[in-house]
Order: sequence, then structure tokens, then C-alpha cells
Amino acid sequence: MSILGGGIFKGMAVTLRNFLGSYTNKKERLPTIDYSWRADGALPQGIGDYPKEKGEQLSDTTTVTEYSRNFPMLLHDGGEPMDTVRCVACQICERECPPQCIYIEKDYDENGKYIKRPAVFDIDVSVCMSCQICVEVCPFDAIVMNSQFELSTPDRFGGLLMRRDDLLKSNDYYHKIHPEEAAARDAKIAAEKAAKEAKKKAAAEKARAAAEKKATEAAKEDAK
Amino acid sequence: MNEEISFWILSAIAVLGALVAVRKRNLIHGVFALLVFFAGLSGLFLLLLAEFIAAVQVLVYIGAVGVLLLFAIMLTERVAGDDDRRMISRGWSWGLLAAAAVFVVLLLRPIQQLPSQDAAQPIKPSVEALGHKLINPYVVTLEVLALLLTAALIGAVTAAQGLRMPKEEDSPE
Amino acid sequence: MSFELLIDILIATVPLMLIFATVFAFTTWLERKALARIQNRIGPNKVGIPCTRIGLFGLGQPTADGIKMIFKENIVPTGADRLFHLLAPILALIPSMLVLCFLPLDFPWLNENSVKAFLLDGAVIFFFAITGLNTLAVFMAGWASRNKYSLLGGMRAVAQMISYEIPLVLSAVIVVMMVGSLDAAEIAGEQKGGNWFVFYPWGFAAFVIFFIAALAETNRSPFDLPEAESEIIAGYFTEYSGFKFALFFLAEYIAMFAISGLAVTLFLGGGDGPGLAVLPWLSVIWFLAKIFALIAVMIWLRGTLPRLRVDQLMGFAWKFMLPLSILNIFVAGFAWHAKQLDSQFIMVITWVISLAVLYGAASGLNQLNRGKVRPREYKYAE
Repeated sequence: MSILGGGIFKGMAVTLRNFLGSYTNKKERLPTIDYSWRADGALPQGIGDYPKEKGEQLSDTTTVTEYSRNFPMLLHDGGEPMDTVRCVACQICERECPPQCIYIEKDYDENGKYIKRPAVFDIDVSVCMSCQICVEVCPFDAIVMNSQFELSTPDRFGGLLMRRDDLLKSNDYYHKIHPEEAAARDAKIAAEKAAKEAKKKAAAEKARAAAEKKATEAAKEDAK
Repeated sequence: MNEEISFWILSAIAVLGALVAVRKRNLIHGVFALLVFFAGLSGLFLLLLAEFIAAVQVLVYIGAVGVLLLFAIMLTERVAGDDDRRMISRGWSWGLLAAAAVFVVLLLRPIQQLPSQDAAQPIKPSVEALGHKLINPYVVTLEVLALLLTAALIGAVTAAQGLRMPKEEDSPE
Repeated sequence: MSFELLIDILIATVPLMLIFATVFAFTTWLERKALARIQNRIGPNKVGIPCTRIGLFGLGQPTADGIKMIFKENIVPTGADRLFHLLAPILALIPSMLVLCFLPLDFPWLNENSVKAFLLDGAVIFFFAITGLNTLAVFMAGWASRNKYSLLGGMRAVAQMISYEIPLVLSAVIVVMMVGSLDAAEIAGEQKGGNWFVFYPWGFAAFVIFFIAALAETNRSPFDLPEAESEIIAGYFTEYSGFKFALFFLAEYIAMFAISGLAVTLFLGGGDGPGLAVLPWLSVIWFLAKIFALIAVMIWLRGTLPRLRVDQLMGFAWKFMLPLSILNIFVAGFAWHAKQLDSQFIMVITWVISLAVLYGAASGLNQLNRGKVRPREYKYAE
């Protein structure tokens, strides 16, 4: 028979071990790395003390580690952003977003024909909860997480509403801040593209074979 | 002197609380005003050196009855009340009559005894005496009250049991 | 009003408030630090002396928090009851501050002739009466915010507090029975010389029940359902910001100190401890040290236990704590009668029997409440 309330004491022993261990056995019990207050160059991107001086701005690639995530951004493949933007304004992310912080309008040309890109793409980062669901549902790998954290602004409403042009970031930038993830994503896109291509080829092959077969059958029929 | 100032302040609090409790259309405001009245009353008891009564006033009236009222109000609709600001409702004369009658009945004996009481007589704080009184002469009353409360409790449990929804069949959803 | 009386009252009450407000700031730091260490984090370590890089283990954090709280914008939601929204934090703070006066602290600056904070015959019953007012403040905050989460938090708080107040009071009744007085100073005096009530079986059971109920009364984890972040945001103070929020925070911690102080008074001997014969003012130190020990256990439990479900919470109060505390009153009554016989042998027998009865009842209730536990069924997942 176990002692009444023994589970609580067992749990308390575990937490006590953690508490004391964090002072004696830092390596195992205190994996938190104190990134700030360090010498220059000690950080992954060389941030060092932050901020070094009053009013100093960090670069556009501000990130703490490769694995930090903050708010979403839109990817384009280099060059003029709106020409190579991956987003086709399908609005899947808008519908999936749990706090509904994404707002998208489709883009039309002068004839009223839908061109596959967003005219408006707003994310209210004061509402966004950084859940990454938009990243997971995007079929075009167009929306991924940025890790920029310097977002404080004196304007509570306008300053925290990210417009399309604020959100657009190049794939190179993505590779810079999250190299591992970006490489994996590129590989996946390439694989998907190859698979699609192969499928298309196979379909074409099949259609050709079918047509040939039909032709031969027709010829046979004719011969009869 | 100190007692007099305290008495007037506490009385003012109690009377104001009671008035607001009656006048307010918003039920929650009314309940809290009533609780202010109770608090003023308990202060008056404290002034009379009736500590135990004061404590019980806070414990039972503010703590228990207040919460009970709030629970009851949360189960009703239209907590904010109608926006009807008529000063006096229709049957006011009957209400006044009833209030006067209760006042006379309650205060007849104390008023008769008033001149003979020596107000300056020191009273000893008396939790212990009260305990003895409760256990010795009034023990039957206490027990009957306890029985009544137990019956009410059992009744409440039964009522709550009866309210239980019929168990739903396993729906496909 | 005589001037001396006013001075006396101020001497008795102002240091009390100052001590506990300061200790509150330190406790928030301690809690954050301890929780962080339990969760393998560092905790606050940056704020120390301004304009320098001296961290002082983050001891400046409470000051920084305080400054932030005071200067933060005070947001009142549209449609909120503005008056009640303002009154609720104040109403939350008053009872928690008031009950501090009932603790039997022997302050060295008070001589025998001077007024103690409150010299009441029924200090214990007043303590319970006034802590109960917290419930109303919590409900008021929840209702005035005009926010469904706040209201849910408020109603949860009310239900929880009135449920756990019963075992809390019933376990205190045992001490009152044993001493035969409701006076806090007398209760503490009875336990002089290591004769603490927690060292008796019935006293220990009462202490455990009291401590658990106190956790629930002060909304501490694992009973922090009224402010369950994962379910109802911050519960009743979701809509509070700035200084009003700080007041709620302060009230919660002061209530923690007060109820720990009562536990120390009732079960842990009050200001009793070694060295009192030489330095009588040490009793204040001992009292505060014991309070801190209890607070440390509260923080430790918060770092350990997950939050209870609402039905578990209610079931625990009504099906486990209440029967056990009523049984404990009977046991203590028998023990009191056994003590009157003044025989060592009978006392030993009483100890053994009461230990057996209490433990048996506790584990029996535990078995009864266990319910039918079966492995979880998944309806749709394969």
C-alpha cells in the first residue's frame, strides 16, 4: 500500500532536485544560456550587448538563435518582390488563423482578371500569437516565421499592423536567419517539383501509350 | 467622545447603505450596498463591545448571505434592472405603515426601559459568557436550529439531484 | 480624539503595513527565482543597481516592476462598471491588510502599556470573518469587468472560497477547543516551549487540512482555478492593468502572509523558538521565519503540482477534507478528555488510536473517492 499523498512528495523531491541541482550541476540542470551581457562575437550573429548604445538599431537580420521564431513573414524568390512572391492569395492562412490576425485581398489586373498575388496582406502582430499554423497550412511555402524581435513602437495600432511590404522578405534572408529550416524547405520544394514533373511526365507517357494502343486497336479494327 | 464620533460615522454608513440598497435598480449594486449596511451594523456592534456578534455579523451576513444573494442574482436575467427612475412606487403608504408597525413592536420594550439603563456601565467582552449561554440555557434552541439547517441542507442536495439531466444516449457526434 | 491614542495606533499599524509590503516585494522576487530554478531557468537576474552592470541576482526586479505598474496605462473596458472596477482592488486589499492586525506579533517597539494593533477576544473568528470578504472583492472584479472570462473567474473563485472555508474553519476549531480561547495571543502562549499543536496527531491532521484549504483560499497553485491562465486568461483580473493590477497582486500576497501567519499562530507555536529567554524580541523573527517557511512550501508546491480540474477541486473539498476535519474534531475531543485523566499510559493509547483512526479515515476516503478509473478510450483516433 502506498503512502497517502506519496505522489506529491515524490513530485516535490523531483522539483527540489531540480532546484538544488541548478546551483550545483549547472550543465545538466540549467541549460538556459544567457545570451545578453556577453562580449562581442559570442552570439550567433554577433549582437553582443544589447543595445550597445542609446538609440542603436540592430540590423535587419536581428535574431537570437537559429531556432527563435517570432512573427510570420512572406517569402519571395529574389528580384522585384511582387514579381516573385510565392503567395497566391489563396486565403487559406487567413481562414486557419486562430486569432484571425491575417487580412488578405486578391490582386486583379485592369481587366478584372485574377493574378495570383495578394494586393493586400496585413498581419496584426498585436493579435498574432505566433502559433505557426499559417506556416503549416500554406501549400506554397510562402509564409514562414521571422525572428525579428525589435518591434516596439510608440503607435499602438498602426505601428503593430504589418503591411504587405513590411512582411515581404527574400528567400536569401530566410536562409540567413534559419539556415537549416530554409534548406529543408527548399529541398522539399525541389522534391515536390520533381515529383510533379515526374507525374506529369508519367501522365503524358500514359496518355501517349493509351493513344498508341487506341491507334493500333483502331488499325486492327480497320484491318478486320 | 471617540465613541460618539465612531457611532455617527458608522450610523451614517449603515443608513446610507440601506437607502442605496433600496433605491438602486441594478441588483448587484443593491447587494453591495446591502453589504455596506451590514458592515456598518457590525461596526456598531463592535462599538457596543459585542465582538462576537460583530464577527458573526461579518461572517454570516457579509460572507454567507452576501455570496448567496450574488449567486441567486447570477441565476436571474436582467441584472441591470429596468431604467425606471420613479421615486416612490405605488403601494408606498402600506409599506410605510408596515415599517412603522415593525418599528414600534421591536422598539417598544427598549424604549420603555431606556431611562432606567445606566449607559456608562462598563461591559466586559464576553465571548466566553456567550458560549456558556449557548451551551447551557439555550442548548435546545441551538440544536433545533442545527436540525433545521441540516434538513435544509439535505433538501438542497435532493433538489440538486432532481435537477440532473437525463443521461444522454451515445450520440454519433 | 486623544493625540497619544492616535500615535499609539500609528506605531502599532504603520510598521506592520510597511514590513509586509516590503516583504511582499521580496517574496515576488523569491517566487520568480525559485520557480525559475525549479524549471531549469535562471529567473530575474538583470535588474540591480541602475546604470551599472551589477545584477545583484535581480534583486532590483520588484522595484522595477513597481515603477512599471505605477506608470502603466489604466485601461477600463467599454461597458465596464467603472465604480466597481475601481473599488474591487481596494476592497481586495483592505481585508488582507486588516487581518494582519490579528496576528499575535510581539513587536519590540511596543511596550506593555502601549496599544497592540488589535486586542480582541475573538481574534480567530474575526480573522475568518474578514478573510471571507476577499471573495466579494474577487466577484466584484469579475462582474465589473464585463468580460466573460473575468466573470467565470469570479464565480469560480466564489465557489472555491466558500467550499474551502469550511475545512479551514473546522480545522482551526480543534486548536480553539484545545486552548479554550479564541484569543490569538492566548493560543500562541499555550504553545510555549515547543508544545506546538502540530506535534500531536490531531493537530498535525488539522494543520495539513488547514494548509491545503489555505492554498485554496488564497488561490495558490494547485488550486489557482480562478486565475487559470490556460483556461480563462487571468480570471477575474483579466481586465486590470497598471496600479489596480498591482493592488490585486499585493492583496493576494498579503493574504498569503496573513493566512500563513494564522497557521503559524494556530499550529506552529506563534513566536515560539529557541533563544527567547535571552532576547525576547526574537519572537518576531521566529514568527516571520515560520511564515516564510510556509510561503516557501507554497512556492515549492506551485512549482510541482499541476492545476486541478473544477470537479476534482469541489470533490476534494466536500468529499475528502470536510469529513476528515469533522472526524478530526471528534478525535481531538476524545483526546482532550483523555488529557484530563492525566495519565501517561492513556495518553500513549490515545496517540496510537487517533493516529490509526485518522490515517485509516484518510486512506479510506481516498479509496472511496477514487472512482472508477479506466484507461482512456479514443473514439476516433485509430
